Amino acid sequence: MNNTVIIWLLLPILLGLGLVTIQRLPKLSALLGSLFPLVLAVLALIYSKGLTLNVLGRYFTLTDNLVFFGRATQITADQLGIIALLYFLCFAWNVMSGLFNVGRWFNSLTLIITALWASVQVITPFLYSAVVVELIALVSVPLLSPRGTPAKSGIIRFLSMQTIAMPLILLSGWMVTGIETSPSAEALVLRGSLLVIAGFSLWAGIFPLHSWLPMLTEESHPWTIGFLQTIMQISLAIFFLKFLNQYAWLRNLEEIKLVLKWIGALCIVSAGVLSVFQKKLSRVFGYLFLSGTGYIVLSMAFQQQGWLNLFTQYLLPRIFAYWSLGYTLSLLREAIGSEQLNFSELKGLIWRYPLSSILLLASLLNIIGMPLFSLFPSNRILLSILASESMPFRLFVSLGLIGMVLMVLKVLGVVIQAPEDVDQDKKERTLMIIPVVLIILVMVLGGIFPQFFTAPVQDLLISFQNLLN
Amino acid sequence: MTEIFQSLPIYVALLAALLNLVRRQWTLNLIALVVQFACLFPILLKIVPLQLALIQPFTGLMVTLILYLTLLGVGGIKAIDLRQSLTSGEIFRGLAGIFLLATLQIFLPQFQQAVFPFISSDHLFLSLGLILIGLMQLGTIREPFYLVIGLLTFLSGFELLYSALEFSYLLEAQLVAVNLLLAIVGAFFIVKNAESEST
Repeated sequence: MNNTVIIWLLLPILLGLGLVTIQRLPKLSALLGSLFPLVLAVLALIYSKGLTLNVLGRYFTLTDNLVFFGRATQITADQLGIIALLYFLCFAWNVMSGLFNVGRWFNSLTLIITALWASVQVITPFLYSAVVVELIALVSVPLLSPRGTPAKSGIIRFLSMQTIAMPLILLSGWMVTGIETSPSAEALVLRGSLLVIAGFSLWAGIFPLHSWLPMLTEESHPWTIGFLQTIMQISLAIFFLKFLNQYAWLRNLEEIKLVLKWIGALCIVSAGVLSVFQKKLSRVFGYLFLSGTGYIVLSMAFQQQGWLNLFTQYLLPRIFAYWSLGYTLSLLREAIGSEQLNFSELKGLIWRYPLSSILLLASLLNIIGMPLFSLFPSNRILLSILASESMPFRLFVSLGLIGMVLMVLKVLGVVIQAPEDVDQDKKERTLMIIPVVLIILVMVLGGIFPQFFTAPVQDLLISFQNLLN
Repeated sequence: MTEIFQSLPIYVALLAALLNLVRRQWTLNLIALVVQFACLFPILLKIVPLQLALIQPFTGLMVTLILYLTLLGVGGIKAIDLRQSLTSGEIFRGLAGIFLLATLQIFLPQFQQAVFPFISSDHLFLSLGLILIGLMQLGTIREPFYLVIGLLTFLSGFELLYSALEFSYLLEAQLVAVNLLLAIVGAFFIVKNAESEST
């Protein structure tokens, strides 16, 4: 038990399987499902300073290596920061899961999925993590497509895309083996890079391979898809950084930053423009994820010194933005009894659910990075860097931003519209004011004092030594 | 004669994959899936020891068994009707599949020389053929059962290709887990659809 791999990978999977057996006791399952990741996150944070802990003169030392099918898997102290973040994310979603009708599998599967995403970051050789990503997609199916409804197009496309991506990543590693000694290294580098970029594009749903993303947010519960997409986006971004850290040929490729800029800009503009034409908030949620992917990719590309500063600044505000919007959409879904949150069903929402409506508008303003909100400081840095870039990037990102602002105005227009024949009485409990005020306060505090979100993750990626220089 | 005999599993496997692409009869599809996986064995035996060559076909049998038992549970197993005439969609899929394989055969020598010079052309033809037919299956259907068959075909082609490039016990274990989970997901979809049809 004194092994990091056992504690942060194998134990959570066993605990998750254990939670399956008590899924008929939802409150206990939610309680344990919150407690386990919290303990694992706190332990990971404590041990991230060093694998020896001194408690009242007694030393608790962990080993960091476990041989598995002939391969050594290692979790060092440097990597525990990332693992703590993933388990904290799992805790943040599980702790509120009892409020929503997310299905009996939620607590157990989220814990297993978190452990699998953690393993993606540490498996050696790291290319084999591609198969784990496929396993995660398969394990997510009961969450994304609960029983009682037939399998829809979104989940089918999602599974297809994730499966097609896996071979591309695995082949990229083989393709560039011995690249240093090869006489035609340039061709191999190009092929390897193309495979890596194509694989990640399929995984993350980069434009124009994003069609499954809004479909999936439309078909699934916002709390569930919020968790799955957030942990996927963050983990894939960190995994991509691992590729850059490991592969000098990819990192030193001149075109890589340009490609990343184009991918980011295309995601932002497509998400912004397409979100304006949506008639369901559930689909807008999908486009917000696409836009988020764009900003994360841009944050990796627009680095003047190293790769990591802006990326780490984005992490916590973005996680919080997804969490708060997922919470708001879940509240609305259960309050008005609408699965897809059609705009027609939101007419006059502010009269019936004033607090939820305010939270919805604040969450949308926060996630698109408006001033005063938590994503604004990092967005501002990105936009100021963008000012010195060529015209197409500036135009695309501006269009994307304008599209998102128009979408928020459209939602505002629907929400404040006077209802026609419906009951206008307030239907919210007064106690709702507490979470609403707290969430908006955190959003605003994060906007005014950016270090509130950036300080905890400052040393998160110290294991990526090649990217820090 | 020996050459034809050696190439037989390749063409039988591709024929089985084509049958799964074209026909929509669950019992027939399961038999074709078993044949497809069984035909991988002699090909794998040429490059890996017997114990390792058994892994993929054996996993395939397990996967088919999971799907068979699920279909049996929901009343999906019926007698095969070989006289059922082909629909226009089936003819289209069949012709498109044959066209894909023919195109692959034409460009295989150049592709082999440029990318996979160490893999025999038979091995490469079968693995890429399965990958292409699997992709086509994924692009032409919506029913979950055929999605799973498409994914299994695609993965079996890739696994065959990768086994000629490098071998790792960890990767093999992971891929077995993926195949089995895929079958369980397929079973989950079949049961879900049967439940929602009955309500």
